[in-house]
Amino acid sequence: MNHIPHNHACGNTEHGVSRRQMLGTLGGAVGFGSLLQPGIAAEIKKQHKQVCLIWLDGGMSQYESWHPLPESKFGGPFRSIKTSIPGVHFSELVPETAKIAHKISVIRTMETKDPNHSTGVPRIQRGDPIDRGVTYPHLGSAVAKLLGPANPNLPPYLWIKPGNGGFIAKEAGFLGAQYGTLALGDGKPPIHIHRPDGVSAEVEAARNALRLKANERFKAYRGASEIDAYETSYAMARQLMARKEIFDDSKMDPKDKERYGTHPLGRHILQARRLLEAGVRFIKVNSYHWDTHGDNFNMSQRLIPQLDRPFAALINDLEDRGMLDHTLVIVMSEFGRTPIINSRLGRDHWPDCWSIALAGCGIKRGAIIGETTKDGAFVNSEGYDIGHLFHTIFTLLGLNPRKTRYRIKGQKLAIAHDDCEPIKEVMQ
Amino acid sequence: MRRIIFICILLPVLSGWAAERLSPRIDKLIVAKAGGSVATRSDDSEFFRRVKLDLTGRIPSATDTRSFLQDTTSSKRAKLIDRLIASDAFATHWTDRLSVMLLERQKLGKITDEEWREFLAKNLKGKPRWDVLAQEMVGATGQGDERPAMKFLGTADHHAMTEDVARLFLGMDLKCAKCHDHPSVNEWKQAHYWGLFSYLNQTKHATNSKDKQTYLVEGVAMKKVDFQSVFKTEKEITGPRLPGGKEVAIPMFAKGQEFEKPAADGLPGVPKFRPRELLARDLTSKNNTYFVRNGVNRIWYLMMGRGLVHPLDELHTQNPSSHPKLMELLMREFVAHEFDVKWFVREIALSESYQRSSRLPNGVKKIEVTRYRTAHPKAMTPEQLLKAVLKATGNEAWVTKLKATDNAEKFDRRGYFTGTNHEVPTSFEEIRALFMLTYAEPAGTPEVDFIPGLNKALFLMNDRLIQDWLKPQKGNLIERLTKLETPKSIAEEMYLSMLARLPEVDEVATVANYLERNNKRRAAALGDLAWALLTSTEFRLNH
Repeated sequence: MNHIPHNHACGNTEHGVSRRQMLGTLGGAVGFGSLLQPGIAAEIKKQHKQVCLIWLDGGMSQYESWHPLPESKFGGPFRSIKTSIPGVHFSELVPETAKIAHKISVIRTMETKDPNHSTGVPRIQRGDPIDRGVTYPHLGSAVAKLLGPANPNLPPYLWIKPGNGGFIAKEAGFLGAQYGTLALGDGKPPIHIHRPDGVSAEVEAARNALRLKANERFKAYRGASEIDAYETSYAMARQLMARKEIFDDSKMDPKDKERYGTHPLGRHILQARRLLEAGVRFIKVNSYHWDTHGDNFNMSQRLIPQLDRPFAALINDLEDRGMLDHTLVIVMSEFGRTPIINSRLGRDHWPDCWSIALAGCGIKRGAIIGETTKDGAFVNSEGYDIGHLFHTIFTLLGLNPRKTRYRIKGQKLAIAHDDCEPIKEVMQ
Repeated sequence: MRRIIFICILLPVLSGWAAERLSPRIDKLIVAKAGGSVATRSDDSEFFRRVKLDLTGRIPSATDTRSFLQDTTSSKRAKLIDRLIASDAFATHWTDRLSVMLLERQKLGKITDEEWREFLAKNLKGKPRWDVLAQEMVGATGQGDERPAMKFLGTADHHAMTEDVARLFLGMDLKCAKCHDHPSVNEWKQAHYWGLFSYLNQTKHATNSKDKQTYLVEGVAMKKVDFQSVFKTEKEITGPRLPGGKEVAIPMFAKGQEFEKPAADGLPGVPKFRPRELLARDLTSKNNTYFVRNGVNRIWYLMMGRGLVHPLDELHTQNPSSHPKLMELLMREFVAHEFDVKWFVREIALSESYQRSSRLPNGVKKIEVTRYRTAHPKAMTPEQLLKAVLKATGNEAWVTKLKATDNAEKFDRRGYFTGTNHEVPTSFEEIRALFMLTYAEPAGTPEVDFIPGLNKALFLMNDRLIQDWLKPQKGNLIERLTKLETPKSIAEEMYLSMLARLPEVDEVATVANYLERNNKRRAAALGDLAWALLTSTEFRLNH
């Protein structure tokens, strides 16, 4: 009579976590105690891993980027060019990345499930775990929860995106609102990070001194943990205010701006580099309007170089700064684009066989993974679902996705799809 | 004469209040498990602010605090409690609290917020009974005066209703038991979930073709519900059954005999067997210990800041009450007093356990929160905070009167937070919305424990509304302060208005010193001093 979903296990919601932890990532302090099994927490703390997820919303064509097949019937008009890896070619639209191909890996056999944007974006960004009737966190919130802030003075998960920003709770899923993301709309921090007009730095310092004095008196006779938690949120707010120059576009080196490009994606990837340098744990950079159902080739010619230059610059800069070994960079979308070119010279949604680029933090250098059919339409070796990628990401971040569990109200929830494995070929 | 005496003796016995008062018995059981010294009684300021916040949702004014402090009547606390419980402000505040607890800020179904609030407030102004409220919500049809109660059942989604009834009225978070027995709570079975479900799975919305209103109706239950654990191969079946109760047999009627009333005006026929109506009756029965315990625990939490069983939705033997004997007593008494919410709130408020100071007992560094040795500081709810900020800064009168003009463009809230919208909201409704966006949890999330946050701190620190309210204008606090001469009178007015207490000697000195150093910017300096109290922990917590 009633349909019963065939879940393998189910999870309970969210609030159990927040209840016990008082403060989430937006609040400042992140406790491991109730969430992770003992032992693992200490191990994670020692490591300093960071992530930059470059999200090309709508889907980038694999044929016009990492997997050019100009000779095939689906190849399109662009040439392929040699890369720094002998025998490997990229599209001519990614000349800068072609020069540093030996520093990155490309997986050409992503084989995912969902051809719809509306469901595909969250599905992919949550790693498509087994349905347990709960809403899983997006990758950034998951990492914020599992690893905490890399720099205790900065929020662990920032999202740089065109348009509006603000505190966005919904990415956190069952982890609870405090593991949401602080979104920098067009790269700008929330307005409340700024000292109000008419309040000088001196006055600001003086009135905070008054506040601290009042707090000291109040706390002296009391022991409740709420008191510490509340004070911590202010301490963190002040630290962020003090570091607001890391959000300031005008403080960027003009040479860097030139190298990364002046379009939004270039500026935002440059800003991501600066925030990684400042110690932010996870940064997502969004670029929109990659959904090239019509006029795919002109659009690709305009869009893909906007990724190519700053991505290559980011990899080079991270390497120069000694950060590439602990910083994972991921370039991906919710799916690739169809081999068949439609009547509007566009390519449609294609989850069956598409490409992503990865670098750093234990990703092999110069590995091109996966065999496709000759025309690139289908996987001809092992296909990788998003669950495999999440296993790979978590493993590279020092977690064991087979053992690490979200623990909510005594229940253990897998952090990635139970039936997937890390993609060993792409890992050092 | 003899008759009168006879009545005087018997009446209390008959009406049940001859029995020992509850509050001292609460205290006895709390002290028995304290495991150490307890804090002293709260001083009058501490008590006054706390009880005003808990019973009316508002901090007291400076004038009210002064007169309470000066009142020398020994029974002034009890009198105050009675006065506050009888006030309209009690109904307003407890409407906020119960509404947030039961709807979790979700806007579902056809009943407007205003209708729902009016329904709750009407109850709370009279003699609110927890069992009757629950019965009206769970059994709601949309007919009659209790029509707004149907908001609780939202969109009549069968699973959402099952989970909400279990969690909010039985303290059982049964979400996991949808697909299998609960993995860690042994006594929560999948059969519990589906037993409740089969009381609710005939319920749906239907619209009356005449009055165009939507009602909750029940279809004809023909058979039991079958369910299957994802870990098992065989199916199980259940009819309507409450946790701990007996399964209700589903009666079979001859074709055409199922209905008590035939279909009319677009509404389906009313079946003779209406399981949801039975649920509303049996769920809320005084014999349903799950229901009674949950009711006691939630009201205790609202007053004391922590459930005797905590988390509130984990009422099971593996998560026992911190005070089992007290829980038993409260359950017994709550039933004996017909689930009278006001009676229970009053008894808690009268107890020494409630009236303790939040300051640690002498020589004690740390206490376990489950022992109630001090008053547990509660975070102000978003509603309390907004009112408190406005009242403390003396801007309540004019700000709450701000009305949206009809042709006002829709205010860009997101832009307000990101800096693309430089306007200041011009209606109280918008101001309230900005506060809720910042301080409330997202819809559908319970608000139980205190979750501070970076954005919440930043808002009080730097928001331009707050800065504006700390400038002298329209008779607000800062304007009043600019007219006072001595640092002592300034400090007193400020501390009474904002923290409901008189300043200590060194706090007066701090004020004097700061004003002295900033004598060229006196009004601004007063704003700084007030800002520091507004952002202080003492202000944010109901301690």
